[in-house]
Amino acid sequence: MVPRVAVLFGFGINCDHETKAVFELVGAKAERVHVNRFVSGEADLSSYDILAVPGGFSFGDHLGSGRLLGNRMRFAMRQALMAFVDAGKPIIGICNGFQVLVKTGLLPGPQAGASPDFVQRGSLTLNDSGRYEDRWVTLEFDPESPCIWTKGMERMECPVRHGEGKYVMPSSEDLDRLAKQHQLTVRYVDPSIPVGKAITDEPLPYPLSPNGSMRNIAGVCDATGLVFGLMPHPEAIYARWLHPDHTRRPGTVSDGMDDWEGEGLQMFRNAVEYVNQRT
Amino acid sequence: MRDVRGDVVRRQLAADHGLSVATVRSICGYLIHGETPSSAVAPRVDDLFADPIIEHGLTNTMLLTTQSFATSPDAVITVGFKPGVTDNPGKAATDGFLTLFPNDPDARISTYLTYVFYGLPQDCDVHWLADTLHNNLIERALVADRSECHAKSWPELDFPTPPEQVFIEPQAVDLEVDDARLEAISNDGLLALNLNEMHAIQAHYRDEAVRAQRTSMGISPNAPTDVELECLAQTWSEHCKHKIFASKIHHVDHETGEDSVIDSLFKTHIMTPTHDMQEDVDWLLSVFHDNSGVIAWDDTWSVCMKAETHNSPSALDPYGGAMTGIVGVNRDILGTGLGARPIANTDVFCFGPPDWEGQLPENLFHPSRVLRGVHAGVRVGGNESGIPTVNGAIVFDDRYIGKPLVYCGTVGIMPRTLPDGRPSHVKTPVAGDVVYMVGGRVGYDGIHGATFSSLELTEESPSSAVQIGDPITQKKMIDMVLEARDSNLITCITDNGAGGLSSSIGEMAEYTNGCEIDLAKVPLKQAGLSPWEILVSESQERMTIAVKPEDQEAFEALADLHEVEATAVATFTSTGMFHVRYDEATVAYLPIEFLHDGVPQLQLESEWRPPVLPLFVPPQNADHAALLTSMLKRPNIASKETWVRQYDHEVIAQTAIKPFVGVERDGPGDAGVIAPIHGDPHGLVISCGIAPRYSDIDAGAMAAASIDEAVRNAVCVGLDVDKMAGLDNFCWPDPIESSKTPDGRFKLAQLVRANRELERVCRAYRLPCVSGKDSMKNDYGSGPNKISIPPTLLFSLFGDHPDVRQSATSDFKFDGDRIYLVGTSNQELGASELAFMLTESGVAEGVGGDVPQLPHPERNLGVYRALATCVRAGWVRTAHDCSEGGVAVALAEMCIGGRIGAVVDIDGTGTGDVWGRLWGESLGRFIVAVSPEHESAFLEAMKGHPTTVLGQVRTGMKLVITDADDALITADVETLVDAWKGTLDLTGGVA
Repeated sequence: MVPRVAVLFGFGINCDHETKAVFELVGAKAERVHVNRFVSGEADLSSYDILAVPGGFSFGDHLGSGRLLGNRMRFAMRQALMAFVDAGKPIIGICNGFQVLVKTGLLPGPQAGASPDFVQRGSLTLNDSGRYEDRWVTLEFDPESPCIWTKGMERMECPVRHGEGKYVMPSSEDLDRLAKQHQLTVRYVDPSIPVGKAITDEPLPYPLSPNGSMRNIAGVCDATGLVFGLMPHPEAIYARWLHPDHTRRPGTVSDGMDDWEGEGLQMFRNAVEYVNQRT
Repeated sequence: MRDVRGDVVRRQLAADHGLSVATVRSICGYLIHGETPSSAVAPRVDDLFADPIIEHGLTNTMLLTTQSFATSPDAVITVGFKPGVTDNPGKAATDGFLTLFPNDPDARISTYLTYVFYGLPQDCDVHWLADTLHNNLIERALVADRSECHAKSWPELDFPTPPEQVFIEPQAVDLEVDDARLEAISNDGLLALNLNEMHAIQAHYRDEAVRAQRTSMGISPNAPTDVELECLAQTWSEHCKHKIFASKIHHVDHETGEDSVIDSLFKTHIMTPTHDMQEDVDWLLSVFHDNSGVIAWDDTWSVCMKAETHNSPSALDPYGGAMTGIVGVNRDILGTGLGARPIANTDVFCFGPPDWEGQLPENLFHPSRVLRGVHAGVRVGGNESGIPTVNGAIVFDDRYIGKPLVYCGTVGIMPRTLPDGRPSHVKTPVAGDVVYMVGGRVGYDGIHGATFSSLELTEESPSSAVQIGDPITQKKMIDMVLEARDSNLITCITDNGAGGLSSSIGEMAEYTNGCEIDLAKVPLKQAGLSPWEILVSESQERMTIAVKPEDQEAFEALADLHEVEATAVATFTSTGMFHVRYDEATVAYLPIEFLHDGVPQLQLESEWRPPVLPLFVPPQNADHAALLTSMLKRPNIASKETWVRQYDHEVIAQTAIKPFVGVERDGPGDAGVIAPIHGDPHGLVISCGIAPRYSDIDAGAMAAASIDEAVRNAVCVGLDVDKMAGLDNFCWPDPIESSKTPDGRFKLAQLVRANRELERVCRAYRLPCVSGKDSMKNDYGSGPNKISIPPTLLFSLFGDHPDVRQSATSDFKFDGDRIYLVGTSNQELGASELAFMLTESGVAEGVGGDVPQLPHPERNLGVYRALATCVRAGWVRTAHDCSEGGVAVALAEMCIGGRIGAVVDIDGTGTGDVWGRLWGESLGRFIVAVSPEHESAFLEAMKGHPTTVLGQVRTGMKLVITDADDALITADVETLVDAWKGTLDLTGGVA
């Protein structure tokens, strides 16, 4: 079976083309589906195996990033989303998509075993710098995270491109709870520290942490590990020629991707393989 | 939780004004005008208006009265929009409100921001403070000073309701009057028509056949209606018709004795060369006549590019003006052929010095404020549209205080054929097709933009000429239009820009030779607009699209899905007439031919005498290392990172060479390279060149340098020089001699020289110009206080890159890499950055002298082809263009990018003395680095081209430059980094 991926678009989502492309590069069949096709019932979310909410500026980030698109989903797609999550199907939100999933309450979501309750538990707010920035960061993944999207991934370089990427929660207990369940899946790290040892709760200085996120959080998953969101853009390093250093590290040049596959592609392959193994 | 919005204001006040404030807090306000009772809104505050995790939200209670603000502030300033000004957050809030309260469809929301100041210095004037926080052209501010805060007398804004517009029936304008009256009609109506043009219009209405036809249509037989006069003024404006480029010029050159006549600079020097080149290549698909120029990129895809300027609006409202500029040029791409998808932006700005301490003329903003505003507008416009900004430049000169230049460019891509087999670059309308207005509504904003930009800026420039773009409305429209294109629903499409519907439908009507418009069908932002206002309003985010009658249903359904407004407002005909109705009444009835070809050709005088400037003489002795540090701090050379990093430069996952390169990703990129088809390394190079200060000596040399720089930048990254196309964007001061412009002949001669060099260089480079634009009134004021910009050509280039995996960047890479100079350094220091620096500091007398020349461009092309081939072969991984600041600055930038040192000897690099070889700005030069293993292949490929070994890349973080035995510079690379990155970081940090 070829997994079907719904890549949401409309209202200012703008990473829909590349998000569709990366799923196709790892063997899925991906479609860009306008939010309103789901809302109107013209498209059926349950006929898809994976849902991706890409990056962008839905509704211009006005009233807080992800808020208005989150509301459209929370109020107009509630049942479909709940059924999708309950059916154990993977969802990813990248950048604005992560903001949307946090504002809808799908991330970090309720305790293990509970259905989505659409209660907002955290938020993504203005970077401490007050500026939107496009810059490359180094990420490390929690190897014990239940997240199905990040299996086998250790460290990755990719860009952040946001003005509101600072992940916050009301109390440190909230963060402790997520940490304990390894839901703090991916963090900003200092690249000078050896791989596997760089994750820290101590706030890293700007620009290692580009936004001042609590505990350097770059992305979180829900208790099941199926719903995952992150501010950085893994799809932006689907090929090594998109890495700022590629003129320093030339590879062989022949047809196709060959040794030019980028580190980000693994994340999408993980989800596609997860779906394939389930069925 | 941190109040970042407040922090930004606090830092900015410190950075721009040296004002230290302890704390600034912010409140977002929403004024709701609707049927829903506030008791129903209150429980939903956290669902929409406030984030329950990080904010407090309240309804019908000012947050200032709550415990959060128990300590009395030192000042409170509330800023909201003026009535009728686009309020994007308000629009989004209204949309979100409708999601929660679907039964209140007419509700409207307006937004404001309140800043609350603590620890404000006693002597700080709060009204001055308010002025720094708002632009009174578009915003209102209310202020509570210390005592008012103490008295809890808080500023409260009312809902901004636009004043009633009075609908005025179309009326005839009597042109049977004397010449003085004709001129008064033009001036008073902001029509920007000269007497000759008024006479041409007058003559049209004297024609008996015209009168008879008009009588039969029931429209004033012997006088234009106001609708017609406005329509002609828009269509005939300099902005739309490029009358100066189309004029007949009598050119006298006192240097050579030439006395000749040029019949249209555009046709002679731009169009003809391109058409000649079109004979030789098969990839020039569409040039000049469409909204952008289109080239075939491969068998499946074509690409197009367009650049525009938005100077006058950006002077009045830097944020709104610039945003409108970028989203406007995006629409040019969307309106190309049957619709192209915008995939990359370029932004080039020219400003006054950000640290300007001199006088500012009335009504002009300080250059740092212009920079901030323009940057913010372009940032929001580009980022929210999901289009990466891959290339650009920021140039500074005192004279841009009078008028900033804001160039915005966009690259588009489209499938070469649509599913139904039609070539996508050809519009296919026929009479009977229905014309839709799609996107935003028409409002009072944007009336007279085209004619206004054809007049010089004055203290009385109208506020209605300023608009704020709405990128999200436009993004929805772009999504919808591209889906419509791929469903074969579009037969013709164009942008609504300057001149509004009058231009967009008017131009498209040329295809079928006629149209019939009903202005009463046009959806309005507010009732009461008069017919002429509806026709010429330049309200943003609108496309004009033609659809076959049988496709109307499908087209409208698609618009509904995307929540985009699409209204049928016209039909194409073949009557030969531009026929405009308001309901049943005919309000304009103009022959298409007269509308488009009736404008009389201007006759202009041009006279060249080379300007006499004090010569630049370098000092006898100099500390070149100290000069290098000073040069790196010059705004024209310094890193623009803090500004450029705020643009998304890699959305769409295609940007293979980014604006930032090197180990710390802060070295300068020479050109942008994108690989827009995912999974395929086939690339496209985008670059630009601009050298306005050379115009001080010779605008011809300025043009040649701009073109050469654009090509060199593209060669650095591996351009295929046999497939490149260019865009010429001229920004000039008014070159028409008049009492206001006594030196018009000279300024026109500058234009003539620039065009001649453009033709000469482009022909030699086989570089066709496929699209261009000019902006010809870049002056402020008149008389002794007049400020004219330096004549400026932005040359943008887009071209093929067969494989982005074989590219080079400017950063030095590895210890032992051999450094070469490609090209020759001559004694060309006239109008150089060094000359300006030393003249400003009083060390030198002036900037005059030999400006860089391009005597043998055909030889340069051979060099460029050879070097680009080396890049694409993988032999050259490091290449950097050598321009402002010459070899010294280029080497410094390459060390900065690589965070590595270099040892270099400039002996034998050309005919110049040590100043010329170190700091001169001769054209045609690159610095490259080659690994030892590829050195022989590189040298073999460069045989016959000027290639001189300079030295080696060395670990150790020292840049050492000698001239044979003379030590010139020993500099620590970290010191260079600090010098280069410090100047333009006006962000105030992150604390």
